[in-house]
Amino acid sequence: MKPDSRSLLIFALLALLLVLLSLLDIRLGSVRITFSEMLAHLSHKRSLSPEQLIILKSFRLPRLAVALLAGAALPVCGLQMQTLFRNPLAGPYVLGISSGASFGAAVVVLGAGTAGMVAGWGLALSSWVGAGLVMVLLLFVSFRIKDVMTILILGIMFSSGLNAVISIMQYFSDASALKSFVIWSMGSLGNVTGGRLVLMSATVVPVLAFTLLYPKMLNGMMLGEEYALSMGIRVRRSRIIIFATTSILAGTITAFCGPIGFIGIAVPHITRTLLNRTDHRILMPATILTGMVIMLFSDIVSQMPGSDRMLPINAVTSLVGIPVVIWLVILNRKSTSF
Amino acid sequence: MGTLTGEKIVSLSDMAIGYAPDRVLLHGINLTVMPGEMVALAGRNGSGKSTLLKSLLGFLPVQEGDCQLFGMSPVTLDVRKRARMVSYVSSRVPPMPSMSVRELVALGRMPHTGWTGRLDASDRERVMKSLKEMGMEGFSDRKVDELSDGERHKAMIARAMAQDTCLMVLDEPTAFLDIPNKYALIRILGRYRDSGRSVVYSTHDLESAWLWADKFWVIHRGRILEGAPEDLGIRHVFEELFEDSAITFDPSGRRFIPQLASRGTVGLEGESSEVLHWTRIALERMGFRISENPVSTTILVSGSAGDHRWRLVSEREEETFPDIYSLARYLIKAK
Repeated sequence: MKPDSRSLLIFALLALLLVLLSLLDIRLGSVRITFSEMLAHLSHKRSLSPEQLIILKSFRLPRLAVALLAGAALPVCGLQMQTLFRNPLAGPYVLGISSGASFGAAVVVLGAGTAGMVAGWGLALSSWVGAGLVMVLLLFVSFRIKDVMTILILGIMFSSGLNAVISIMQYFSDASALKSFVIWSMGSLGNVTGGRLVLMSATVVPVLAFTLLYPKMLNGMMLGEEYALSMGIRVRRSRIIIFATTSILAGTITAFCGPIGFIGIAVPHITRTLLNRTDHRILMPATILTGMVIMLFSDIVSQMPGSDRMLPINAVTSLVGIPVVIWLVILNRKSTSF
Repeated sequence: MGTLTGEKIVSLSDMAIGYAPDRVLLHGINLTVMPGEMVALAGRNGSGKSTLLKSLLGFLPVQEGDCQLFGMSPVTLDVRKRARMVSYVSSRVPPMPSMSVRELVALGRMPHTGWTGRLDASDRERVMKSLKEMGMEGFSDRKVDELSDGERHKAMIARAMAQDTCLMVLDEPTAFLDIPNKYALIRILGRYRDSGRSVVYSTHDLESAWLWADKFWVIHRGRILEGAPEDLGIRHVFEELFEDSAITFDPSGRRFIPQLASRGTVGLEGESSEVLHWTRIALERMGFRISENPVSTTILVSGSAGDHRWRLVSEREEETFPDIYSLARYLIKAK
């Protein structure tokens, strides 16, 4: 199970793409800041203007960081869910985490009707609490229920139930609050700055690092829980670890950026097909890299270079990702098996 | 692997099994597995074979009595330690991720590797040895999701072999296999047993089990009987096992024959003993009894080497057939 030359080549290409896209992501925007200006600033030859500095430090760099965090975290959640449920259609949101986050957001935006809080702490924290409550419920259930498929069904039920409540809240809310909520639900990478970025990074980075520590357990789960048990995997504990890390990652990203669809499901799939491997020791880091690359690319597209308008990130990730997945499926018919 | 010579690998005493205390399937189970022993578990569908296997593995709680694996309770035994002592192959082939056969078999090394699951040279050697033992060396780079059910099942067994345990438990390992593969697999498991390990497997295929198993466990009428196949034969267990069904056990040939409504008696005469043998099989299959004495209907087989004729002679009619098939069709219609 050593990384073969194909995997190494793909890793190198992804890393290269990651660097290029990161640079491009900083470079793009309505205010012109060229690479030579940035280089000159870094080597203390010629400073950037105060306006340029503010734009870089308060907007573009945080936005890049958020894109990288979301692009890394959501696909990891998706991969873990696909492995645990042995289903290629599972994603970070099957457990109802994002519905919990949406519910938290809806309470603030629709309930309080304070549109001014949309970009603020209140929204992020309320949404975080919503996701956290679903996680606690989920962990409680998974201690009690033995069959993992029952938990999947319960997760989907949680999620549908919460969405129904959100619909009712939307129905009774006024137009401006409704619009704020709809905009929140389209996702955004640009609203997380300052203290919130620190909090988000401080949560996501360690958990993400932790998920890289148990590839053997994930490999063991691929044949189902009975086989995992027979091969010495502590199944109950593994399940709790997978649920907890997925909830924290997906919940935090959703709380701070709003729901970002598609990449959580599609990226693990794309990565598996690219590498043609199932070993999580390779798959996990490769999924993180692929996720960051696709997220950055989506972010660049969403900024519509050359125009002042922005597209919602949630729509762009799907529009960017779907052709890739279709192309891979047609190219390699067998990629449908997880 | 550390074989515990003389000690019991499995010891079940007064054990009751089932999915819940109020849903006990079998009770009063007293069974043992000794080192270097191959045990075949037989019983009708739904009699509790899988439940028994999962209970002795510690996957299901023991409802009553005592279950010991290497002198310890399988439920409280550390999972990783247990995985170094017992391997398991389920009756179902799980949905397979797109991994190579070698990667799948390498998963069997998990209880022996460190936290990253990295294989060292001896692990890799054990994987190759297991593939070779299962006759699957040529498959090692194939993807498991491209294999047939039978091949996948064999790969799963190779994985259990790579786990290198004193005891292997298999739930209906022959179910997906064709007849030559079925016998080949039982022979492989027999060889595995000969290396001092123990094998417990459930099966419906008693004929192959008779050839290799040291001991049978037969679940019958809510009880479970233990003994060498011949011991159980003396106690008429196999006749009783299927007495309410459409087959009967023929102890002399250790085989099962269908019970059919009798269509009457016919005589059979001819020269070629081989052709007579096959004709007799066909007649018996249709429910005719073959008589040595003269009867009203007789079949005369004539001809030689590849050119035979079957002549049906009775008081009312006389008919000639070019092959057994047309003779059989005629007899079925006539009755």
